[in-house]
Amino acid sequence: MRTYRKAYPLGWRIMDGIEAAVAAVWPRRLSGAVPYVMVLPAVLLVLLLVIGMVQIADQSARVLDTSTFMPSADYRSANYEQIFNSGLYWSILWRSLLGSVIVTVLCLVFAFPYSYLMVRTPSALLRKFLLIALFLPFFIGQVVRAYGWLIILGNQGVVNEVLGLVGVPPMRLLYNYPAVLFGLVQYMIPFAVLMLAPALTAIPEEIESAASSLGANWWRSFVHVVLPMAKPGLIGAGLVVLTLSLTDFAMPAILGGGSQDFIANAIYDQFFRTSDQGMGAALTIILVGIGSLVVGIVFSIFGAGTLAMGRDRK
Amino acid sequence: MTQQPLGKSIVIWTMVALVLIVLSAPTIVVLGASFTSGNIIQFPPQGFSLQWYAKIALADDLRSAFVRSLAVALICTLISIPVGTLAGIALSKYAIKFERTLQIYLLLPFTIPLIGSGIGLMLLFGEMRILGQIWPVGLACCVINLPFMIWAVMASSASLDPDLELAAANCGAGPISTFFNVTIPGVMPGIISGSLLMFILALNEFLVSLLLTDARTVTLPVQIYNSIRSIITPDLAAISVVFIVCATLVIALLDRLVGLDIFLKSK
Repeated sequence: MRTYRKAYPLGWRIMDGIEAAVAAVWPRRLSGAVPYVMVLPAVLLVLLLVIGMVQIADQSARVLDTSTFMPSADYRSANYEQIFNSGLYWSILWRSLLGSVIVTVLCLVFAFPYSYLMVRTPSALLRKFLLIALFLPFFIGQVVRAYGWLIILGNQGVVNEVLGLVGVPPMRLLYNYPAVLFGLVQYMIPFAVLMLAPALTAIPEEIESAASSLGANWWRSFVHVVLPMAKPGLIGAGLVVLTLSLTDFAMPAILGGGSQDFIANAIYDQFFRTSDQGMGAALTIILVGIGSLVVGIVFSIFGAGTLAMGRDRK
Repeated sequence: MTQQPLGKSIVIWTMVALVLIVLSAPTIVVLGASFTSGNIIQFPPQGFSLQWYAKIALADDLRSAFVRSLAVALICTLISIPVGTLAGIALSKYAIKFERTLQIYLLLPFTIPLIGSGIGLMLLFGEMRILGQIWPVGLACCVINLPFMIWAVMASSASLDPDLELAAANCGAGPISTFFNVTIPGVMPGIISGSLLMFILALNEFLVSLLLTDARTVTLPVQIYNSIRSIITPDLAAISVVFIVCATLVIALLDRLVGLDIFLKSK
């Protein structure tokens, strides 16, 4: 008796009810639409960003009237003209671009051996250690990490105190360009390693053995075999690091101390210090334009690399 | 790695050691500074005390900022789980028209700079008159990190054998019970790793919080940022340790539930 009652438990009956209800409101012939319904919420969420960008574009064409402190009602291009004619914004732009390229190169150079060792080591313990050492700073957040660097590099900081012990006078290690770049590299390395690692996993170890058994030394097999095969990972990692450091706010603000502004800091100042929304919005549009241009160029030359979100085409 | 050449090992280990030092230095120094018994942060540290922890435990502003950060992270995660899971499964299982366009569209949160996303949402939320509340901050954190969730689910979904779903259907399961009994358990590792990632990133989110919060709704990273600018005291180190503890917890959970190795798998 008991087995009979258990043979069709309540949970199944509820499930049958749900199935029948869904089948009633969603006939089978509409099943082709299912994937579109499934991506719809994500599309709507991202739409918020698109609407926000439209708002910024709208603001960017309104010029602040300095007598009434009201943005103009009609569209003008004065904000953009002012940016293009001002040496200040060109130097900020140049500083951000140059900085993000340097940071990207350094990140890729140092992230590569790290991911390589992490992927290839036979020791599960070492792999776990490397992963934890990577995730801990990644999960701690930018502000806390920058705060750590303030303690280390400050005038009474760890580095200067240690240098003082050997008789070196205190140096100003903070609030300069190298400090910002250093902070950015430290911030970006986890991103780079995590983008690189799957691409390195995909390279069979046997190929390297084959190269070395054919007489290539490790450097040649690295340059001619591993590096070309890791290209999708390098592109993905490079793009993420490049765009994130180009648009970063916290590191220039905290480690640059106001003297090493990147574009994001200039935008923030326009919105919250000068209260010239139109000017800030125009700067934002220019930054988005540069960012998209960089991504577009890299995508069209190298493909989407590991950033692709589609199905694997078999 | 069998019998590596010596030169290669030296190069790799030197660079890895350098990276390890640079990655860990801020964490270690913040931890050390939080236990100082002095009134300023000094090196070498002056004695050991828990006085700064006692001080932050009594600071209402810091505690409520932390509670708000937790709320933001929770809201972000709760929104991202259904949205990211459905999108991830759909993208990896079905052939969708305009797939490339959709991919580029869904990557917008990563390609639009954070300052742009933040200011755009600030203008939009301002117009909708919902600024000054907590939930829009959580929603914003969800939007800007959504690709992480979609990626995580897609990675699990791609390794799921489609025959399993056919087998379930063959045994008489309808599409809904197949989805909940076969597909969802199959992509669970992706859902878990994705939602932990969303949680910790929202807990730490700084720039978007800075733009979307005011003095009454300030989150902990913004609170720390505001205090850094005036003066560096050891209580900031103690409150920063809260983040270190949270990060450690999330890493332990990730390792226990799905294994950290999941991030090394190739798609």
